[in-house]
Amino acid sequence: MDTSTVKIILQILHYLFFGYAFLAIVSYIILSIISGKETLEYLKKNSFVHYKDILSSAMSPSITIIAPAYNESLNVVENVRSLLSNHYVNYNVIIVNDGSKDDSLEKLIEAYDLEKIDYIVNEKIKTKPLRAGVFKSKNPAFEKLMVVDKENGGKADALNMGLNISKSKYVACIDVDCLLLEDALQKMIKPFLDETNTRVIAAGGVIRIANSCIIRGGKLIDVNLPKNLLVQSQILEYLRAFLLGRMAWSRLNGLLVISGAFGIFDKEIAIAVGGYDTNTVGEDMEIIVRMRRYMEEKNEKYRVSYIPDPLCWTEAPDSYKIFISQRNRWTRGTIETLKKHRKIGFNPKYGSFGMLSYPYWLIFERLAPIIEVIGLIYFAILIVLQEVKWEYALAFLVLSYMFSVLFSIIAIYSEELTFHQYKKKGTGIKLVLLSALEPFLLHPFILYAAIRGNFDYFFNKKKKWGSMVRKGLVTV
Amino acid sequence: MIDNLPLSANFNESPLLIQVAWIASCVLLSVIILLSIYLKIMRFHLRKKDKDNAQFKNEYEAYLIEYLYSGDTTGKINELQDSIIQKLKASVSIKSKRKIIISVLYNLMNEVSGEMSVSIKQLYYNTGLINYALKRLESKRWHIIAKGIGELTRFKIDEAHHKVSKFVNHPRSEVRKETQLYLVSLFRFEGLSFLNNLTTPLSEWAQIQLLETLQKFDDQQICDIRPWLKSTNDSVVLFALKLAQIYNQFEVQDTLMELLAHPKKQIRISAIQVLTHLYGVEAKELLKANFNDLSLEEQICFFGMLEKLVMPSDEPFVEKYLFHKNFEIQLLALKILKSINIDKYMGLSETTTTEKDSSMIKLVNTL
Repeated sequence: MDTSTVKIILQILHYLFFGYAFLAIVSYIILSIISGKETLEYLKKNSFVHYKDILSSAMSPSITIIAPAYNESLNVVENVRSLLSNHYVNYNVIIVNDGSKDDSLEKLIEAYDLEKIDYIVNEKIKTKPLRAGVFKSKNPAFEKLMVVDKENGGKADALNMGLNISKSKYVACIDVDCLLLEDALQKMIKPFLDETNTRVIAAGGVIRIANSCIIRGGKLIDVNLPKNLLVQSQILEYLRAFLLGRMAWSRLNGLLVISGAFGIFDKEIAIAVGGYDTNTVGEDMEIIVRMRRYMEEKNEKYRVSYIPDPLCWTEAPDSYKIFISQRNRWTRGTIETLKKHRKIGFNPKYGSFGMLSYPYWLIFERLAPIIEVIGLIYFAILIVLQEVKWEYALAFLVLSYMFSVLFSIIAIYSEELTFHQYKKKGTGIKLVLLSALEPFLLHPFILYAAIRGNFDYFFNKKKKWGSMVRKGLVTV
Repeated sequence: MIDNLPLSANFNESPLLIQVAWIASCVLLSVIILLSIYLKIMRFHLRKKDKDNAQFKNEYEAYLIEYLYSGDTTGKINELQDSIIQKLKASVSIKSKRKIIISVLYNLMNEVSGEMSVSIKQLYYNTGLINYALKRLESKRWHIIAKGIGELTRFKIDEAHHKVSKFVNHPRSEVRKETQLYLVSLFRFEGLSFLNNLTTPLSEWAQIQLLETLQKFDDQQICDIRPWLKSTNDSVVLFALKLAQIYNQFEVQDTLMELLAHPKKQIRISAIQVLTHLYGVEAKELLKANFNDLSLEEQICFFGMLEKLVMPSDEPFVEKYLFHKNFEIQLLALKILKSINIDKYMGLSETTTTEKDSSMIKLVNTL
């Protein structure tokens, strides 16, 4: 290959990388503008909503909270108490003890005065069988609670057991260690009841990070910015993702994922598609894609909704090891889902779902870390070949850095002007400084985790969930 | 080469793309600095606003309580009350303070009743707050109109009836919802007359709110719901079905029977449920005769009806479904048989062949 051919190849690669980065930046700008509009519209719509009526009405639809638990002995009793303190009138809680090896079940039996009941599961979705059986409380104060003890089958299998048992029209699938605000259910159920011409098949809520927040009696008392820089960076990342990303996809009816930490589903559709897929680590994304695909194929009008209110608070990893393990799993989940439903991609039969949402996820989520690594390798080769045009490299590096800092600051503004959760003095400046540091504190590790996720997906098929050690939230 | 030239000369000699990138970076940096400074100012103001609001709230609460307790039985405004009105009048012209006053007034209104409630409404007029709410109805922005109607509803301003009712078919569902709530909150069942001409769908959320509002009244004398059961607007029919159930409308059973043949499945299912609630034995016979023509959901719903209205003569029918492939139908059929013929039910365990059926019988046995 002569030098002119090499130069042409390099030139083409230059333009490809430049075009990709340019499109990514443009898409972020467009999505943040749409998000802003959608959030404003949401706030306008909800500024005069009477949630109290729905709270007390016997006509309000029934909701079952399904919370799978595996070896949660440390906090399970308190976590269940938090789930039972919701203000919605027509709901019940199913805790699915997914073959825990610890004393979770014994603790629940003791704390909630549970007794075994005769129960036959209507197995609409195939799951692992019951182990100790189904338990209900003898105490009328806990009549909303049901505990199901089954053989271990993973989170998806436990959720499927909950879907089989639930008698409600809607199911709220949540992580048992999440803190759900008391008004979470009525806010989340609203989109389902508000639509008249379109069927809302699922709704997701913003997930907030609860590390260092003060919780009392299952209620969030005080919101604090944690001291750990990794957790702080994740707060910023969540603000960007939820307030500037998912709100826009909600507006475009293009949401492909609802966080597994908290989401409400139309049970009929969730069962019709066969429930959660037990063969993926990204079951939260996969079920949404499958439900959407089902509705598209049935040619029915539908929506996946999103609520920007801070309704669900969870504990974020505070060590890089756990963080990388979590992101590794998210990457594998995305790859598995997109691969399983590849038929949708660039398929006009699926409308904007196939022509916009799926391609966006494929190009800017699935392929982004791979393209970034190729870019880094390419850059290293250029350095070795002394082909780097440093004046260009420096100018565009600074520009992309400035853009990323500005984008984070816009996310902070979005939070301040809407929900203003971090009220304490000095937090604002800390978040701004964090915007400048976050590209170094978080991004390299996200990239590393994504590459590891790709590697594990192709070469380490046995790897499943990975460890997610939680330390517990600050409870007083 | 870069190092030896002054920065400006270096910049001027750079290719256009690099110049553009550096200019864009400088612009972004300036925006970042400005936004960071403004964020500090904004957060300071947000904190101050919260503090001020809490202070104003306490201040206005004290004024309003003084106003209410200084009144006499004649209802005439005395000097002290007049001075409070003047103070409040001066504040209501400022939007943020007006918002606090309205919120304090409304909270007080919820806590008191009788004369005091009338007194608060009077204060709402005297301070001129009513004018601001009415002015909102003239706005071109839908959420301002909706807020205005909501406020008039909360303070029970029935004099605004004509101004509000024109929004009943407003293009925005939020405005329609507030209008409907206004009409029902203030005019009770008469307010439901908007259903006669409703062309837009009534959401489930709106239906629940209307039903909750209606149930707050002591007088539960409901009007004739037949026209709504026959409405061409499906959501109105569904709402009327809920009314029939809540208010035990036995007299509309004939119309409910007609709805069993409605083209919409959801309406047919709701009609079965309401007829079950109203002990519609005729409906049971009709549905039993046409059981195989029903959808699965209707069949399950019918078995729910049968569970409540079963008679010994239904036994042969029930027997046909004891081993139905649908879990709900089978469970209900077994429960029904157990309730009407326990001996036959007990004999089932000897004749069953599958594990599923025998565990189902065992389960029903424990119920």
